[in-house]
Amino acid sequence: MNRTVLIVGFIIAAALLGVLFLGLGKNPAEIRTPLIGKPAPAFALREVGTGQTIDLAQFKGKPVIINFWATWCGPCWEEHPVLVANARTLQPNVQFLGVVFQDTEEKILGFLQQRGSSYPTVVDQAGKTAIAYGIGGVPETYFVDANGIIRAKYSGPMSSDILQENLRKAMTP
Amino acid sequence: MKTLALVLLLFATQDLKVPDAAQFVGAPKGTPVSGEQLFRETNRIGGLLRCPVCQGMAIADSPSEMAVNMKGQVRELLARGYTEEQILKYFELSYGQFVLLKPKFEGVTGMVWILPVAALAIGLVIVFVKLRKLEAPRTTNNQPPTTEDDPYVSRVRDLVSGGKS
Repeated sequence: MNRTVLIVGFIIAAALLGVLFLGLGKNPAEIRTPLIGKPAPAFALREVGTGQTIDLAQFKGKPVIINFWATWCGPCWEEHPVLVANARTLQPNVQFLGVVFQDTEEKILGFLQQRGSSYPTVVDQAGKTAIAYGIGGVPETYFVDANGIIRAKYSGPMSSDILQENLRKAMTP
Repeated sequence: MKTLALVLLLFATQDLKVPDAAQFVGAPKGTPVSGEQLFRETNRIGGLLRCPVCQGMAIADSPSEMAVNMKGQVRELLARGYTEEQILKYFELSYGQFVLLKPKFEGVTGMVWILPVAALAIGLVIVFVKLRKLEAPRTTNNQPPTTEDDPYVSRVRDLVSGGKS
């Protein structure tokens, strides 16, 4: 009996250790989303500043980096210069697109005028686009390939290295 | 002035397009609900969906803007005739199973349902086997143990009787 208890205990402990190991080995910022490998949900939203409609479909044929953010989000301030600098070097081969939700157009404009911009930013008024993309917090960034398929998602502020690493997933055929 | 504002608003929003549930779960399979039933159903289904920015709260209970938006989406889908199954599927396709407060009985999440029952069953089996073993001596040997065969007792007895003689 003691031997059986020992074996059962060992199996349970091994299973728990396995789960812990798998969990600890993951990068919490690299979110597993069911949208990976699926077509990016279609949207056409109004651009901040110009009022023009920007349709995601118009960027088909080149990778698109969709960055969900808001002016009230501290990490978004930290990430903004990285996005602006990378957009300056990578565009027009790669398209950057900012999607702002839970915010006012006045604040967004003020933020962009003060801190600079090198790519279009659109407003998601009722947050429906954010919901369709499974956004839980900001900043969250999607990497869409030239065929409009989502290849990666990153949660949290990105460094240039992280951005490049995720972009590679959207560049490989 | 009001009319001009309305015209401008219409002009500004006419080309806008947000992702539609139909892209994910197809056309509505139910009947549109309204009024009091829409309010009740929105709260009921909202109670099944986790607020992604809160600590384990349902969107029906959370005051956060994200939860309010998600609840608005549930209300809109119900009003358009989407069924509960379709609405839950729509959110699951965006957020993953994490968004469902009641895990589905499939794949790895099935373990959430199976493991507690399995642990209880194993525990009961162990207790049953242990009890049977405890009862075993009484059922197989009803006589109280004798000292006849015990070599230690025999030796003591011999020594005691030897001492007397």
